[in-house]
Amino acid sequence: MKNIYLIISREYLERVRKKSFIIVTLLMPLFMIGMMIAPTLMMLYSTSDQKQVVVIDRSGLIADNLCETPEVTFIREDRMSKSEACNIYNEESGIFGILYIGETIEDRDSVQLITNSSSSMMFEQNIAAQIESIVEHDKLKAYDIDNLEEILASIETNIDLATYVNDGSGEEESMESTSSGVNYILGIVLGMMLYMIIILYGQMVLTSVIEEKSSRVIDVMVTSCTPFQLMMGKILGIAAVALTQIGIWALLVLSASKFLVPAVFSADVAAANDMMLVAALGTITDTGYLASLFACLVLFILGGFLLYASLYAAAGSAVDSIQDSQQFNSIIMIPIIISIIIMMSVFNDPNSSIAFWSSMIPFTSPIVMIARVPFGIPVWEIIVSLIVLYLTFIATTYLASKIFRVGIFMHGKRNTWRDLWVWIREK
Amino acid sequence: MDTILKIENVSKSYTGHKALDDLSLEVPRGAVYGLLGPNGAGKTTLIRVITRITMADAGRVLLDGKPLKAEDVFHIGYMPEERGLYKKMRVGEQAIFFARLKGLSRSEAERRLRTWFERLNIADWWERKVEDLSKGMAQKVQFIATVVHEPKLLIFDEPFSGFDPINANLLKEEILGLRDRGATVIFSTHNMASVEEICDHITLINKSRNILSGSVEEIRRTAGGNNFEVLYNASEEAFMSALGNFATRTTESRGTVGGYTQTRIHIPNDEDVRGVIAALNDHCNLRSLNEVIPSMNDIFIRAVNGTL
Repeated sequence: MKNIYLIISREYLERVRKKSFIIVTLLMPLFMIGMMIAPTLMMLYSTSDQKQVVVIDRSGLIADNLCETPEVTFIREDRMSKSEACNIYNEESGIFGILYIGETIEDRDSVQLITNSSSSMMFEQNIAAQIESIVEHDKLKAYDIDNLEEILASIETNIDLATYVNDGSGEEESMESTSSGVNYILGIVLGMMLYMIIILYGQMVLTSVIEEKSSRVIDVMVTSCTPFQLMMGKILGIAAVALTQIGIWALLVLSASKFLVPAVFSADVAAANDMMLVAALGTITDTGYLASLFACLVLFILGGFLLYASLYAAAGSAVDSIQDSQQFNSIIMIPIIISIIIMMSVFNDPNSSIAFWSSMIPFTSPIVMIARVPFGIPVWEIIVSLIVLYLTFIATTYLASKIFRVGIFMHGKRNTWRDLWVWIREK
Repeated sequence: MDTILKIENVSKSYTGHKALDDLSLEVPRGAVYGLLGPNGAGKTTLIRVITRITMADAGRVLLDGKPLKAEDVFHIGYMPEERGLYKKMRVGEQAIFFARLKGLSRSEAERRLRTWFERLNIADWWERKVEDLSKGMAQKVQFIATVVHEPKLLIFDEPFSGFDPINANLLKEEILGLRDRGATVIFSTHNMASVEEICDHITLINKSRNILSGSVEEIRRTAGGNNFEVLYNASEEAFMSALGNFATRTTESRGTVGGYTQTRIHIPNDEDVRGVIAALNDHCNLRSLNEVIPSMNDIFIRAVNGTL
């Protein structure tokens, strides 16, 4: 045990003392905030080039009613044929494309957008929505209703849905206000954090084993401690580094939630009408809730990291250089990538059966489960998922240690999956 | 003989190559034991079998008469040929780490290490990073890390490679010092000079086999074959008649050293050397008669070529 402790503290101190560790730890939160704010800023300030569209309207209904927006302006060329327009307004003309509207709008292939360069989904939706609304409006007119404009204006409605978690009391003051939007963002942040940490620190275990092997420190080490002690010392030492980093982040976020955010937003919250903003502020100033999220995060990160780190350690022991590790590395990455894909689908329905099962299966469970946690899933699910995860970690560590024990002594040979299997079965 | 380590019929094969072939040897307690042999003879493989880094295909390794166990290795001091130190770590810290792995307390480790660092003139490297050290410097650190826990069995693989003559001498002194304090030292080398100076026993390994084992004194005497070098001042006839049937002259070419004639003679085993000396002394103005002991280098080459 003393040896494991010595190895843990060596691995830990070597990394934590590095300047890069301190810099990354402090900059990462800024980077994350930047990542969240950047898309909004980009949307706000990006003056995406105004697109010019030539309109050929055979129906005579649409062209007059198209609204010009900062994104798009229209040029009418009703007398041109489609082929003529295509000829003249080609790529060199600077025109984005040609909108052709046939005589009977609702027929198939009657409304066409012929573009000179690729268009975006947003743009196409915008055009289609405009045309739809014009046609609908036209149809309504056909009913000959008096004061149609006023009626339409008066029925326009905007609903702000306030969401609460039922605590049985029936009084919303005591109930926790939630918002799927906030949960969604929290889920993404937590899931991505877990993904990054598993990859980043898992690779660290891999390189650490390979370096030890190639610098031949391993020969001295294995005559001083058992291979199992060496492997566990490395894994736990690096896990301690990861936890330190998360601990610092948790401290930063929690203290911001407790002191910084209330100080900045307290006045505005009362005035805010936007329920989503209220919910968001409610969440990020609920220090207790954030602390429980971090606790969950730590448990899943630890389990997920330990599970993958043991695989990475085994892979590292079986190769001589980083380049050789690719064949094993890419296989280990597959379940991690699958987790991310499933995580994205989880946001549509956090309680779907794919979400449930993939947060029970240990190789995907850390990332998928942590992304579901903000949506408020039953505690028993979290506990079962954690138990399965940690049991699997014990099993993979056992197998990994068998590979490690043989692998670290192998030099200059390219080992295959079959070799690893042989090592596992060796007594 | 009190044996600390016994190798019994050890064999080890790698794909298409036999590294050790039914090799046996015994290391006496308290000796400096040299494993000699040309490159690729199997020295390092043997050491790696002893330290359990490599598993032998056949045969046994006995420590103090009992089969060597995994935990036993942790009490051995082992310095591999390819030195291994953590490059990013500071020298002192690293030495303490290895010493503590070998069971010393932090304070005891630091105390002993400071003394060792002073002794090998590297005290001011304590705070430096390993990656800033030269090969020879790193080797000194590695040597200290190997011996600091004062193991009763020490194994060095090519300890002198990478050292300049001054530091190689320093290392020899330290190895002898360790032996005098009760340790048994095994080291491999192809540097014969170091063997003559510090080894009590040797084993010569060639082509995966033990071709010669024993104490250095014994081996040289046996290989010497009762040849003597004589310095005298007399006529050739007088010299030859004095030799009579006691001995035969082995070299025709006769040099002179300070007015004395120099030649070599062979005295058969059953003949008394004192009789030869008396006869030569009476008739040839004998100046000196010395046993010719071949250098380990000669023995090495002759043994490898099979002409010993």
